[in-house]
Amino acid sequence: MIVLQLVVNGVLLGGTYILLAQGLNLVFGVMGIVNLAHGSIITFVGVFTYWVVTQTNLNPLLLLPLVFVVALVVGGVLQRLLLEPLAKLGNRRELLSLMVTFGLSYVIVEMAINLFGSQYVSLPNLQETWTVAGLAVNEALVVAGVLGAVISGCLHVWLHYTASGKALLATSQNATGAVTCGIDVRRMRGISFAIGSALAAIAGVLLILILPLSAPTADTLTILAFVIVALGGLGDYKGAVFAGLLLGLVQSGVGYYLGGDVEVIVPYLLLIGFMVLRPQGLGQAAR
Amino acid sequence: MTASTSSSGETDALRVEGLVAGFGDITILHDVSLAVPAGKVTVLLGANGAGKTTLFRAITGLVTPRAGSVKLFGDEIAGQAPHLIARAGIGHVPSGRELFPRMPVSAHLDLGGRLCPPDQRAALRQRVLELFPAIAERLHQAAGTLSGGEQQMVAIARALMTNPRLLMLDEPSAGLAPKVVLSVFDALGKLLNQGMSVLLAEQSMTFGLSVASRAYIIREGRIVLSGTPAELSAERSVVQAYLGA
Amino acid sequence: MNLDARQVGQWIERRLSAPASAGVSGPRPLSIGILIALIVCAGSVPLVTSAYILQLATDLLTFAALAYSWNVISGCTGYLSFGQVSFFGIGAYATAALVMHTSVPWYVDAVIGATIGGVSAALLGTIMLRLRGIMFALGMLGLARILMVVFSNWDFIGGAAGLTLPAQLTPVAVYLAMWVAALAAFGLNYFLLRSQWGLSVIGVRDEEVAAAAIGVPTSWAKTVAFIMSALAPAAVGGLVAWNRSFIDPPSAFDPTLDLQVIVFALFGGIGTLWGPALGTVILVIVGEQFWAYLPELQLALYGVLVIAVVLAFPGGIVGVANRFGWLRRRPVAAPAVFPIVSRPPRPATPGSDTIIEVRDLTVRFGGLVALNNVSLAVRRGEMVSIIGANGAGKTTLFNAITGFVKPSEGGVFYQGKSVSDIPSHRRAHQGIARTFQIPRLMESLTVWENTLLAARHGRRKDAAVEQAAWALHTVKLDNLWLEPPGKLSPGQQRRLEMARALALDPTVILLDEVMAGMTRDEQGEIREVLRHFRDLGVAAVAGVEHIIAAIADISDRMIVLDRGKKIAEGVPEAVLRDPVVIESYLGKVS
Repeated sequence: MIVLQLVVNGVLLGGTYILLAQGLNLVFGVMGIVNLAHGSIITFVGVFTYWVVTQTNLNPLLLLPLVFVVALVVGGVLQRLLLEPLAKLGNRRELLSLMVTFGLSYVIVEMAINLFGSQYVSLPNLQETWTVAGLAVNEALVVAGVLGAVISGCLHVWLHYTASGKALLATSQNATGAVTCGIDVRRMRGISFAIGSALAAIAGVLLILILPLSAPTADTLTILAFVIVALGGLGDYKGAVFAGLLLGLVQSGVGYYLGGDVEVIVPYLLLIGFMVLRPQGLGQAAR
Repeated sequence: MTASTSSSGETDALRVEGLVAGFGDITILHDVSLAVPAGKVTVLLGANGAGKTTLFRAITGLVTPRAGSVKLFGDEIAGQAPHLIARAGIGHVPSGRELFPRMPVSAHLDLGGRLCPPDQRAALRQRVLELFPAIAERLHQAAGTLSGGEQQMVAIARALMTNPRLLMLDEPSAGLAPKVVLSVFDALGKLLNQGMSVLLAEQSMTFGLSVASRAYIIREGRIVLSGTPAELSAERSVVQAYLGA
Repeated sequence: MNLDARQVGQWIERRLSAPASAGVSGPRPLSIGILIALIVCAGSVPLVTSAYILQLATDLLTFAALAYSWNVISGCTGYLSFGQVSFFGIGAYATAALVMHTSVPWYVDAVIGATIGGVSAALLGTIMLRLRGIMFALGMLGLARILMVVFSNWDFIGGAAGLTLPAQLTPVAVYLAMWVAALAAFGLNYFLLRSQWGLSVIGVRDEEVAAAAIGVPTSWAKTVAFIMSALAPAAVGGLVAWNRSFIDPPSAFDPTLDLQVIVFALFGGIGTLWGPALGTVILVIVGEQFWAYLPELQLALYGVLVIAVVLAFPGGIVGVANRFGWLRRRPVAAPAVFPIVSRPPRPATPGSDTIIEVRDLTVRFGGLVALNNVSLAVRRGEMVSIIGANGAGKTTLFNAITGFVKPSEGGVFYQGKSVSDIPSHRRAHQGIARTFQIPRLMESLTVWENTLLAARHGRRKDAAVEQAAWALHTVKLDNLWLEPPGKLSPGQQRRLEMARALALDPTVILLDEVMAGMTRDEQGEIREVLRHFRDLGVAAVAGVEHIIAAIADISDRMIVLDRGKKIAEGVPEAVLRDPVVIESYLGKVS
């Protein structure tokens, strides 16, 4: 029974992780860069949501459309101003884009700290626990897990069944080839970063309902997201679904049997261990 | 024997004049001029590294030219963004093919077809697949899993699906076994007889001269020789010295 | 501090220039002068100034030591690290434990702390250095987190509550110790950027695979650099802990320390000798004025600064200075003029007549069979060409012979002995050299240094210089020896790869796509080099895709690969007329 409970928790936690990672994954897939500011967008939006809700008593889910649109615009602008100039730098681009997003993450985190403080906060809206067939099911985890699945599903439909999504997917697989089909690759990079940021923002609103967050935890979330993306095979968003579930399951099991401290470092251990043994990621193995 | 031989500017599909391009400190193309008459096949012959691919990329905007003019049916396109040049009507089959490895063949046709007027897409697709029956059987296969020759056909098919006014083929034979090259040339031979405006880059003099109405020889980023196939065949040894094959 | 600076300077200069090892250039007198002046100033600071200035100078040196250490692994070696603070923390805790449990003098503690830092880097390096690029960068960040958790749960050194250290060091002692740490870190950078050995590390940064192929023990070079990058941070960590007389996991493994260090190195110029110092001095002094007014914005402004520097001048201050011809890197061990080549005759190498034997070699990548049961042999001094289309398995064959790909089945034998368990760089030492399909040259090194790197193995410095000069002369690149490879034509780049291979004194050279991309003139030059190989008794195996004519007449034998299988072998005339070859590869000319 305990094992079953741990599996349920793990799967739901995995859903949260998928939610966390898909934005980063999309940006990596299309732009070939790891957005180290990903986690800082999540925590910024998270503590912002907390602040708005405690000030106004609004339902946090109502903020979703607002933060989605704002993050979309801000992400698009940031990409254009900060990252697009690096696109032509060839092999130095990877290093420099890491530097830029690393710097950006500190700017966003410090803004959040100065505006909303650096303490851990969380919203009590989804704190119920249901009992289903003898298993305790946490309401917040269910919401996050379901949304993680829904967002991955939307991403799949968009990328495979719409013209703009297919253009984006094509760009992520071969930018030169995409250009010969008349696709504006620069715009695609902007779109991917805008949507990646918007997905991070959504994750921020939802995570604050599930976990306590503080602005300085941003890089923990970035690493967590990166671990999932890397485990799934960089840029492979289906792989990321498997990786998110795997990480959720491992962490829920480790947390129960070995304690919270070990649970916290599971992502790092997985990152280092797994990358040493299997640098190509899970997705390739599945194929 | 210079580029200005075809004097009637209006009938040129492509007219390149004084094109200069390069990367960083290095200039690769020096003052290149050539013309592609409408409805005819023009071939650009040169060894690897002679500047064929850079010239193609400079024409299609993947490399920004430093100087010079590129006119597509009289409209200046030099310096425009590459996707706009593609939309203006250049179908570019790039060197290295540049396919989408995890997408199926059909998606390549769809992505190319974005630039074709919707009402003509189905008919165009039909014609393209008739030209390349080998890939018609593999529409749902991921492009990365195809053989080299099939990948080349997909790349050409994708470019044709853009319904181009000018087709630019960058070394369709590169990286293929001689036997496969023959089959690709075979399919191309049919295509090139249909009155399209084509600029073809090749290393193979024999094939290049057999399909073209005019040929240019490029070496170290300069056009060193041009003429009709008959003229160039007469100077076969000179041409071969330039090509290194 | 009573030494006469000029005397010291002259003495050092004499020491460095006296043996004049075969034109290897020593440091310029100017650098030595600057160094001496710095040391004298350093010694006098605590005597003349206020506690405030002393603290500022100490901070400056602390960050300079950290920035130079970061530059060792991330700048010179190309492994971007976001977690060098791991070693700062390890050193801090090691020193703290020593202080708490032993009674040795403080400077001994600092040295032991640095040693423990180095040892942990050696151990951690065996895992971490298998990661590349972003994986390494974030893996290091993760490592710092893991260590933070580990130390929080380790009661021996105080657990999460931290440790309070008993005695405080005097500010002057800390200051002087920081000087030593900073100078040591600078010295390591100097060593990597100016010595022949340092070329290995830069080779790893520019082209790790090619470095291994020309005999650089890449894992060893990376590990040494990683250890070097850990020494000063560990010592500095101990000194800082002692200076603050308190240490706990969050302050020992504070990731923002890495941010600051990266900002300083980036601002000055990553991978340069003077960048970290310039960046640290300018930003610490400017920052000191600034943070007094806006303490809460410090990190945000550092973030803005990183972005601004990357976008405006990614090479940092040194990058800008380079544009004016200042602070340029000088080629390592380059004599004033190209050395006159006088090479002693090669000693006859004993060994079997069959140099390389490949037996039943199969290589699979997942479901793809790249090589299918291929056997072949290469005899001493022989020229063999391997014909096949893209994807026929030529490169995989070369990779298997040189140890970059592990055979799924079968084996590779060199002079009768299996080399299956021998790493690539040692196969290169034994005499298996190779070139690459697309030339893989170290872009930030000169033609000269590219060759010298290959010539280094098993030679003293002056012998390596002679060997490199001979190799470059043999392929006729002497007049371009101080150019960067990026300025060479495709043919010259191929010849440089051949010079590197030749500098290894190989018995066999594997040439991947030897003629591709060559004009007829260039093909002629390469044919000449290939003939030269034969005169030297070096066997050559050349992979060829299209340009068969240019290689057939100088080949002793020809082997045809088709989709991973060997379909023909023999003298060129026979192979090219073989119906199987015509049917499956050449095709019928219609």
